[in-house]
Amino acid sequence: MSRSVEIEFRLNGVVRRAAVRADMSALAMLRDVLGLTGTKYGCGEGECGACTILVDGASLNACLLFAVDCDGREVTTIEGLANDPAAQRLQRAFAEHGAVQCGFCTPGMVLQAGRILARAGQPDRATIQRGLEGNLCRCTGYKKIIDAVEAAAKERAA
Amino acid sequence: MPDAGALERYAAPRALAEALELLRDGDATIVAGGTDLMPQSHSGKARFGSLLLNIRRIAELGGIALEGDTVRIGALTSISALLASPLVRERLSILAQAADQFASEQVRNAATIGGNVCNASPAGDTLVPLIVLDAAVELAAKAGGGIETRTLPLQDFLTGPGRTQRRPHELMTAVRVPLPPAGFVARFYKHGTRPALDISTISLGIGGVRRGDRLERVRVAFGAVAPTPIRARAAEALIEGRALDAAAIEAAAEAAHDEVRPISDVRASDWYRQELVRNMTRRVLAHVAFG
Amino acid sequence: MTVIERATLIGKRVPKMDAPEKASGKTRYIHDIDVSGQLWGKILRSARVHARIRRIDTSRAKALPGVHVVLTAADVPDQRPIGVNKDHPALKGDKVRCVRDEIAAVAADTEAIAQAALALIEVEYEDLPVIADPEAALAPGAPVINEKHADNVAMRFDYAHGDVAQGEAESDVVVEDSFKLHYVTHCCMGVSGVIAEFDASGNLLLHSNTQVPFLHKREFAEILGIDPGRIRIVQPPIGGGFGSKLDIYPFEIIAVYLARAARRPVKLVYTREEEFLASPTRQPVILRLRSGCRKDGSLTFRSVETLHDNGAYTSWGATTPFVMMQTFSSLYRVPHCKYHTTVAYTNNPYAGSFRGYGNLQATFAVESHMDKLAEAVGMDPLAFRLRNAQDPGEVTGQGMTFKSCGFKDCLRSAAERSGFLARHAEYRAAQGAGGRVKRGIGIASMLHVGGGACGTILKLDDFAHVTLMTGASEIGQGSETVLAQLVCEELGLPLSAVTVVNNDTDITPWDVGVHASRTTFIAGNSAIGAARKAKAKILAAAAKKTGVPEGELDLVGGFVVRAASGEAIVELAKLLRGLHFSDKAELVMTTHYYEPPSVHQDKGFKGDVSAAYAWATQVVEVEVDLDTGIVKMTKVTGAHDVGRVINRLGIEGQIEGGVVMGQGYALTENLVIEDGRVKNPSFRDYKLVTAPEIPEMDLAFIETMDGEGPQGAKGVGEAPAICIAAATANAICNATGVRIYELPFTPEKVYRALKGVAPKVAWRTRAAA
Ligand SMILES: Cc1cc2nc3c(=O)[nH]c(=O)nc-3n(C[C@H](O)[C@H](O)[C@H](O)COP(=O)(O)OP(=O)(O)OC[C@H]3O[C@@H](n4cnc5c(N)ncnc54)[C@H](O)[C@@H]3O)c2cc1C
Ligand code: FES
Ligand code: FES
Repeated sequence: MSRSVEIEFRLNGVVRRAAVRADMSALAMLRDVLGLTGTKYGCGEGECGACTILVDGASLNACLLFAVDCDGREVTTIEGLANDPAAQRLQRAFAEHGAVQCGFCTPGMVLQAGRILARAGQPDRATIQRGLEGNLCRCTGYKKIIDAVEAAAKERAA
Repeated sequence: MPDAGALERYAAPRALAEALELLRDGDATIVAGGTDLMPQSHSGKARFGSLLLNIRRIAELGGIALEGDTVRIGALTSISALLASPLVRERLSILAQAADQFASEQVRNAATIGGNVCNASPAGDTLVPLIVLDAAVELAAKAGGGIETRTLPLQDFLTGPGRTQRRPHELMTAVRVPLPPAGFVARFYKHGTRPALDISTISLGIGGVRRGDRLERVRVAFGAVAPTPIRARAAEALIEGRALDAAAIEAAAEAAHDEVRPISDVRASDWYRQELVRNMTRRVLAHVAFG
Repeated sequence: MTVIERATLIGKRVPKMDAPEKASGKTRYIHDIDVSGQLWGKILRSARVHARIRRIDTSRAKALPGVHVVLTAADVPDQRPIGVNKDHPALKGDKVRCVRDEIAAVAADTEAIAQAALALIEVEYEDLPVIADPEAALAPGAPVINEKHADNVAMRFDYAHGDVAQGEAESDVVVEDSFKLHYVTHCCMGVSGVIAEFDASGNLLLHSNTQVPFLHKREFAEILGIDPGRIRIVQPPIGGGFGSKLDIYPFEIIAVYLARAARRPVKLVYTREEEFLASPTRQPVILRLRSGCRKDGSLTFRSVETLHDNGAYTSWGATTPFVMMQTFSSLYRVPHCKYHTTVAYTNNPYAGSFRGYGNLQATFAVESHMDKLAEAVGMDPLAFRLRNAQDPGEVTGQGMTFKSCGFKDCLRSAAERSGFLARHAEYRAAQGAGGRVKRGIGIASMLHVGGGACGTILKLDDFAHVTLMTGASEIGQGSETVLAQLVCEELGLPLSAVTVVNNDTDITPWDVGVHASRTTFIAGNSAIGAARKAKAKILAAAAKKTGVPEGELDLVGGFVVRAASGEAIVELAKLLRGLHFSDKAELVMTTHYYEPPSVHQDKGFKGDVSAAYAWATQVVEVEVDLDTGIVKMTKVTGAHDVGRVINRLGIEGQIEGGVVMGQGYALTENLVIEDGRVKNPSFRDYKLVTAPEIPEMDLAFIETMDGEGPQGAKGVGEAPAICIAAATANAICNATGVRIYELPFTPEKVYRALKGVAPKVAWRTRAAA
């Protein structure tokens, strides 16, 4: 079995150290080593987006990322958005527009939606839909999630 | 938890030379984006060597640059970076089309072109456009004191599903794409019910230089219909330089149908894949020929 | 005078109470909970489909450092079989009947160690012949799968009303077809998991996502041979249900066995692959339908035979034929109906309950025939349906009484808003024209029932804060919010004044669980009952205190007011404090148990099974690519008789989610099983619908104000998924002239049908009558 590797990175704004096995995923590290459970396991192979995190500002599937590859980078999870006004706008919009049912997909959706908004000022619905193509939701049928992202974009513009 | 196998060490060098040095010492597993490697290690399809070699910190492997009349795309270039590059979008548009139909944003941000090429899946989505563009693969290795590089046509580099001509101590450093001539038009098609997050049931790329109602320097390539992505030479021959009308297009589509030998799997039957090859060759060729 | 404005929450767009928690990633699902001292459980599953187990050797696994317990069937001699037919031992001893079968289990310090231990268990099998389809299972001399059922029949029954021979004699047109329905599975985004722990006195605490905690409590007590009072089930928030958590499953029992043996808490969570392999499926069916009508379009009869693949064990899937019966007998006016069903054991994965419960399958066949019959007598699909749709007050051949019935309104509304008739004619005329992409439109309706019973405890504290304790679990559907709304409506309080407790069997009142679209209806009535009792108590106290007669008082905006003028008399919180601190201290705490006035079915399955019936019509529009067979769903127009809208946001979300689930059932989802093996146990090849694929959705609600429902509401949770596949089949036929009898409409299947090379759905043998 592989020895563990010491890494250091900025997690939600705070420098963290962790000892991780070389074959461990960033998802397992966040949940099992660091106790941040807002990032979800839905498939473990990049198909569902429940594990979406931001690394150096780009959204990634934590389940596909080797934990060791976080070394020296800036990692943001859903927990790290607690004081981010843009994220709060989105979270509010999700609640108000009925975009949350069981909620299991929601943290990943919120993180990915944040990237869509950061990139395009006023994304149209088709752009939002493509932007969320890597995030599965079994409950909502996506419409209200798309509504929420659209509303958050409008609110920001206003 | 996957079986970590013989994995003992991890390294993330910043310099190419250092990475090549480590590779020469043997038994390393190279990781770039990890989007193939991680799921493969979970399913037991890939086993780790004693060293996990993360090449992501090597600046020399990044970047998209025009060198004379060749576009050099660093192996670490992510699919997202391909999409964002004006050079790729304007001059290698078929590659941008494939990048747009590739996985999801989260995967595109991680997945690299080098990983897509070295993973050598028959359904790898950058491979078909790269073949249409006559791309070559650049490999580097430590030899004696210096770094030695060699370049192979992509078609020759790919030898089977998951198999390439890369030697164990070599690192793929870039793909080299000659700038297509003026008037070159090319289209990519990927069969699936989703815009992007689908493994291609079949994919195809057709390119050529438009001269009136003719196409010259024609390339017809298919993915997921053979052990590697392939060129359909018989179909190309029927198109090259000829006046293209409905009958000529039909003949080329029929030829493509006859020259592919797909397999049946959980995604589609061989029969259906062949039907798709014919029907979509017809459609895409008409598009390339007549706009 | 201070006048308090009356504000109602009913029918408003009320955000779910738990949404902020969930959107910030703070909600702790079963996967996110760890209890101190916990071990990790893992299950070893069969490598064979059907085999005798010759030998299991666990010694090497037991020797692995970090392993606490390794169990096989031999270690739990007190096992009792579970399931609807009690045919399912949690740990299989002598024989495996299915590739998912549990044969050993490990509890270890970490998940990795438990996993490593599984690899060290040696099993020797002796293969038995595999029965991979239900027809083969029924063939004479077929190998027996379940010893107690030597004929491989898990269930078989007949239903009839009227006389189909007479119906057939009166028919001008008769059509007969076989239909084939496939495997799909729930794909809850949160995988299954459980934590089992015993306290020092041997009481069991189970953290479980079951939707039927009280029934499970009893089952676990039986399994463990202990008093049910010693079992407590706490339900953490659930990552999706859709019917999958209605039965008890081996993994839960195995976790309990491991915890008992290890004397430590054991957490057991599936991987996604395990979820695909070991969770129940929707029940696959082969169905033969024969139906007829007169020239004037009136239906004459329906005659149905179904053969269901039960899989190796019996869960709720085996009971879906009963729900299908309701559709066969009573969706449209059917004077004569005959129905024979057989549920056969096979070595395939077993079928459980899944949102819609058989109704997707039945409606697919029935609504395909409605189009065929209409065509045969030269009527348009809408007129033909309206000709046969029931009116309020009608009683069906099966004895259902449609007290409120918005069926015709649903049909008219959906057709009108989608421009159904004009488009249908236009697309039909264009079938033969050029172009490689064809458009089509199709219509279908559904009827669904609800049932059950539910209790509520309601408590008001001295700040007028309400705690609503209900047996109805929240499964993501928003029941919590709806129940709170109903209580607020009675007590004149804002939503923020309510806390809902619904997840702990030591606290909440007895309940049969969340299923059959029942939460709003049943639990809603129960909550209203408790709230009304509380209100009566409060107003009586207020009357005593103020001298104003009870009948003239009301509760509005947190005050006791004069009903007529709205004049505030006393703040509710103050009144309550007065009550609590008076000499004869009194607490406002009430209970209410609601059981709907439905009639149990008689032996012939006749009776008014549901207190209210939900109706819906959906119109689906598609584009069919003739070169690839790809069907794109472009628009769904739905009209739903929901009785009354309580929470518009919630009900829209339920329906949209259901529509898209129906879209997946119709177009993309297909659990491929060959020779008993699941070929695509991952999201890579089991395709859920993603955000870019969803159709435009236009929903209308028909509010029939059901007399029995809470504020007039009926159940809706299951309805939206039900007719999508049927309407899609009709739309594809409208686009291309080709009717497809087998789901799902994946590109290759559609392409083959378009080319005329699709294998006809064949039913070789007639199921024994
Ligand atoms: C959800 C999901 C969706 C996907 N969708 C698509 C899709 O639509 N189309 C598609 O084509 N692919 C798809 N893939 C596959 C995968 O993302 C691509 O093949 C990707 O390009 C691989 O790049 P990577 O950097 O992640 O490779 P890695 O996983 O890091 O590596 C892949 C292989 O290449 C080797 N390797 C990587 N870089 C080098 C190098 N420079 N030199 C030598 N060897 C190297 C590695 O050792 C490994 O064997 C998908 C994967 C997932 C998980
Ligand atoms: S858990 Fe990472 S994408 Fe599903
Ligand atoms: S809300 Fe349940 S999966 Fe999206």
